[in-house]
Amino acid sequence: MTSDGPHVPHPARASSRIAPAAQAPAPAQASHASLVEAVARAVEDVPGVAFLKPGLAARLRSALSRPDPGTGRAPTSGVRLATGADGTGPWRVDVQVVALRRARSVDVARAVRATVERHLAARFPERPAPRVTVTVTGLV
Amino acid sequence: MTAHTDPPNDPSPQDDDEHLPCGRLLSRVWDAWEQQADDPHLRSCPHCRQAVHGLDQLGSAVLGLREEEAADAPATDAAVLTRRVMDVVRLELRPGRPLPLGEPGEDLWITEAVAARALRAAAETVGGVRAGSCRIVGPLGGGPAGDRAAGAVEIVLDVHTPADAFLPHLADRVRDRVRDTADRELGMAVAAVDIRITDRVDPPGGGKEGRTP
Repeated sequence: MTSDGPHVPHPARASSRIAPAAQAPAPAQASHASLVEAVARAVEDVPGVAFLKPGLAARLRSALSRPDPGTGRAPTSGVRLATGADGTGPWRVDVQVVALRRARSVDVARAVRATVERHLAARFPERPAPRVTVTVTGLV
Repeated sequence: MTAHTDPPNDPSPQDDDEHLPCGRLLSRVWDAWEQQADDPHLRSCPHCRQAVHGLDQLGSAVLGLREEEAADAPATDAAVLTRRVMDVVRLELRPGRPLPLGEPGEDLWITEAVAARALRAAAETVGGVRAGSCRIVGPLGGGPAGDRAAGAVEIVLDVHTPADAFLPHLADRVRDRVRDTADRELGMAVAAVDIRITDRVDPPGGGKEGRTP
């Protein structure tokens, strides 16, 4: 028996459909980055979340080889956010978090999903409900 | 025994692992360093030495932060924290494939390496048991919509046991701990847990306590 993939394709396997914040189109880059940042901060406040990916490995490498003075904020590529080509469809959100070991992973993931859904619903009440994917990439 | 495939070990494109200029994978270099492997290349290669130095710096930084935050904490706490941070780094480099959490279709996931680590630790809470390879197969699929078993995985865990253990009883205890952890700590549906006893060893000093997860 081979290792079958999950029933629903994981976003990492179809990442071409989701543009990271840094690759957003130039005219909308600022607002898109701001939204990603806001979603990231909301996720980091969810009980049971330790921090967002990218985590320690990327921080270590960037600190040692590609110092970026002046940017004190944590990276937010643990959150990817995209919408339809016309900008009116539902948000498609991919969140990767490191969770606390003392919390039940699935409960943390559900809380993250609910937080993202609430955040986007409050900011974009006219949009359809977002599709939110949450992946726990570490436990500490 | 059903024919199973091993979890993917090769880094996939979405992994954070990278090849150093000398051609070696960063994750392998760090693993070799932590295991104190006797590899002449690691001692002579400037790229590998720099990578190891970076990991060492991270460890020192974590220890320093811990000491700043809780100067009166026992030294063992700092060591545990450091180990956990290093675990996170390692798991980021080689996460494995995503496995489903919760109910089918919830679109919630946990990476294979993280889940396997938790399950191995659960097995080692049984006195004298040492966990080896942990393969997670599936999800099995094929069930009707809404059937939780359709999203369940199968776990195949290799363990070393004490030489004097009654194996059926011990295997049941390990299986129960693994199932319990998958459900209560992770929230991952499990269809089956296969325990494979790959060796029986005399415990040093006759100790019976399992490791702390």
